[in-house]
Amino acid sequence: MNDHKSSGECKKSEHFSRRALLKGSLATGAGVAIPNWGGLFHSQSIASMAQKLGKRCILLWMNGGASQIDTFDMKPGKPTAGPFREIQSKLPGYKVCEYLPKMAQQVDKLGIIRSMRTASPDHPDGIYHMHTCYKQSERMPHPELGAMIAKYLGQTDADLPSFVRMGPTGNAGSGYLGPRYEPFGIERNGNMPYFTSPYLPAANESRRNDLLRFMEAEHKKENSADAYESHRVAKERAWRLLKAKSLFDTTKEWPKHQELYGASDFGRGCFLARKLTEAGVPFVEIGQDNYDSHADNFVCHKANMQILDPAWSGLLIDLERTGQLQDTLVVWMGEVGRTPQINNRAGRDHFIRGWTIVLAGGGIKGGVVYGSTDADGRDVATNPVSEGDLFATIYTALGINPRTKHYVGTRPIWATPEGSKPIKDLLP
Amino acid sequence: MMPNSSFLRMNISCLLVLAIGALGIAGDPIKQNLKEPTTLRQTIDRAVQESWKKEKIKAEENCDDATFLRRIYLDLLGTIPNHDEAIKFLSDKDEKKRNKLIERLLDDPQFSQNQTTLWDLILFGRNPPNQEATRNRTLFKQWLSDKIARNEPFDHWVRDLILAEQEGSELFYAQFNNKPEDLTESFSRIFLGTQIQCARCHDHPFTELLQKDFYGMTGFFVRLVVMDQGSSGNGEKQVKKFKIGEKSSGEVLFSGNQKELKPGKKGEPVKPKFLSGAILEEPTLPSDFKEPEFKSGTKSLPKPLFSRKEKLAQWATAPDNPFFARAAVNRIWSQFMGRGIVHPVDNFGSDNKPTLPDLLDNLTEQFIAHKFDTKWLIRELVSSQTYQLGSKGENKDALPKHFERARIRPLSAEEILSAMKVAGGDPEQKLEGSTGEYFRRYFGEPTNGLGDFQGSLSEHLFLNNSSNVRAFISRKKGNLADTINASKEPWNQRIDKMFISVLTRYPKESERAKFTAYLQSDPKSENLVEEAIWVLMNMSEFRFNH
Repeated sequence: MNDHKSSGECKKSEHFSRRALLKGSLATGAGVAIPNWGGLFHSQSIASMAQKLGKRCILLWMNGGASQIDTFDMKPGKPTAGPFREIQSKLPGYKVCEYLPKMAQQVDKLGIIRSMRTASPDHPDGIYHMHTCYKQSERMPHPELGAMIAKYLGQTDADLPSFVRMGPTGNAGSGYLGPRYEPFGIERNGNMPYFTSPYLPAANESRRNDLLRFMEAEHKKENSADAYESHRVAKERAWRLLKAKSLFDTTKEWPKHQELYGASDFGRGCFLARKLTEAGVPFVEIGQDNYDSHADNFVCHKANMQILDPAWSGLLIDLERTGQLQDTLVVWMGEVGRTPQINNRAGRDHFIRGWTIVLAGGGIKGGVVYGSTDADGRDVATNPVSEGDLFATIYTALGINPRTKHYVGTRPIWATPEGSKPIKDLLP
Repeated sequence: MMPNSSFLRMNISCLLVLAIGALGIAGDPIKQNLKEPTTLRQTIDRAVQESWKKEKIKAEENCDDATFLRRIYLDLLGTIPNHDEAIKFLSDKDEKKRNKLIERLLDDPQFSQNQTTLWDLILFGRNPPNQEATRNRTLFKQWLSDKIARNEPFDHWVRDLILAEQEGSELFYAQFNNKPEDLTESFSRIFLGTQIQCARCHDHPFTELLQKDFYGMTGFFVRLVVMDQGSSGNGEKQVKKFKIGEKSSGEVLFSGNQKELKPGKKGEPVKPKFLSGAILEEPTLPSDFKEPEFKSGTKSLPKPLFSRKEKLAQWATAPDNPFFARAAVNRIWSQFMGRGIVHPVDNFGSDNKPTLPDLLDNLTEQFIAHKFDTKWLIRELVSSQTYQLGSKGENKDALPKHFERARIRPLSAEEILSAMKVAGGDPEQKLEGSTGEYFRRYFGEPTNGLGDFQGSLSEHLFLNNSSNVRAFISRKKGNLADTINASKEPWNQRIDKMFISVLTRYPKESERAKFTAYLQSDPKSENLVEEAIWVLMNMSEFRFNH
């Protein structure tokens, strides 16, 4: 993938040029012309290349961790199987859970990774790890997937935020990429967060803002520092966002889409995500709650899947119908999988030795089942995939170099850890 | 290695001084200069100006009085001057008024409060670990502000912080709650200006630091125990108390590169070793030694047979420690000059050289010679021409590398809050419910991994639409909006008042004309006045100290 770096070290010459380079990327963030850094560094060229591709990403986050054995990696007849039955999917020979009948018809769009072997077994650390592909215990300010995508796929002059999140699911924020890329949190029904309703009548608001624009223009005549520009640009973004606020309102369209996505909050959130990505938001995350089934796993999963199945399949159908599927990567994952063994409360606990994550769209090869677990699902049997491998696959699909480098102080940090490899079988 | 090269430089500069002294003859301008003792502020200006010559840089002129006034208030007191203070200073004809103001502000009780806020943030950050213990740091801040108010020498209070035997001081250790590796990282970064966290997991790729250096330092902390001593107060006011005990036994176990770590592999004990220095010599423990029990809540904890903590305190704060004084002057310098001579300030090392090495040596020597007197150091820094340069100009860099222009730094959350109160005309204003928390959330961390400012969407949504910010602006009896509305003075004068109150300067003609038209666009001026004040408080000029 990368031209000159395969190890975790960098040459000293690169080290010293970090400031100039990062200045370059800040300048982009501030909407100023980009100086040509030539072949010096790749973060700039990545951004422009990735933006040209116009790709976007929707993350369906299964909060608490969904069970692989009860969804896409069923173990019929084994002691770990549980009560759910299999149904035939669109892909010959591949079966999924009976409570995913609509998704069974979408399998030709899916890249199913059944061999996730990850390293953070609990919620806060797993949520962090699966949002950043780095361990929380490293105590570095790693940015989330959404922030990285916002940086490299976001348009600086867009009216909309570049990282939208529905429901509180991630816990790392924009980290070292800075507040420019922080998540903008809304509710799944499109309700906006605090401080998005002006207290002034529109006419007063508008004359007030024009007076500020005048003052900033006066100030700019004698003051050229980037920091001022960053302040001004953020102010304009905040104003533009309110102008585009109506886009978040799905009241009118929802009745027409309810049947496709299912009449649920999560379904409505998926519809809004589709609307937002279509309007140019490069990353939307939407969470579904209550997968953490230490007790009554099957009751819990049955209920969740009945919401998930129409919402997710509806999203894929809608993306295809509107011609967006090729450019929109849909990721289905949570922080952990669930144990093969069923505990004495009919629950399944956290499991990281072999679990499932599903990708679709955005150029991901459909109808591919990658990796496998052993007969009882107690471990990965073939092709283990790490957090870094997964993120490298996602970034590659979106046109972002997984070895993109940033600095925290003088310390270099890569978008994915050393040794991470994109899964070639899933990429075009 | 840093200590050696700095010694070498010191020797050379001493020789030079001797040589010049010996050669000097009557009437020689050099000799004349030598007669007058050179103040540190002159040394700073000479060094900086020489570097401009060398780099062929055109520097900014001295800043105007208004700019200086706002800058020095923010830097020394953490707030802006009110309208009357500003008028008084701006109309003062005394040539020495800047120096007089500096003296007055250094003696203001708010100066030590502000320094306490700064050091508290350095020591704990915005999101310290052990939230339960660190949420309310009243006791710690009380302990520190007492020290700073008495201008206790820097090495003294840091020694007390390392010993952690005074009430309140324990919290620095308590935040790490028996995680000696985390404590090692923070301690080395803050007080030794050295980032050794890389060496926690692997030998440092760009410097000489080895994993053994990291675990050698950890040896000084590994025997510390944080003892819960209950709490006082309830709810928001609850303050947790701690005592720090030190055991006589226990070692750091080192198990090699984290990547090559095999499960179940036991580490080797590592002896405490001063960073880039000697291994600590300590008596061996009697073979029949049994560690006494450490009980929470007991008044006096068992004393160790041999205290590693005391040895560390002694070594770390000694004048000949190769890191301590340099890291301190560099950090204090950066408070006022925007960036360190070594930048970032907590990353000294062979891969990150100082921009003005001789000046850094000089500052360090003089800081030690002045017995770590921080107030003296700050007085010299802010009295220099370098500090008092203008902040305009073409340079896009917020923190110019050669200090050819004043730095432009965002106000901290605490500064913005305080500045808005002062600007709004009611500095004692009581805050609406979560206002303080919102300010910390939206203004607390405005930079990326390299310390570059980034405006955020949420910051501006809060500024634009929150009643929390509006509370400082809208008309209330006696505040700025009220004064302006009630005044019978011509608009010209009222506009001057607004500008002085919020931006600490008079308006330009173009601005005055625009505001006059704006405020007269409706005979009912109340809304217009509020909007105009909001505009001034939302300017990038207000957002930064420049």
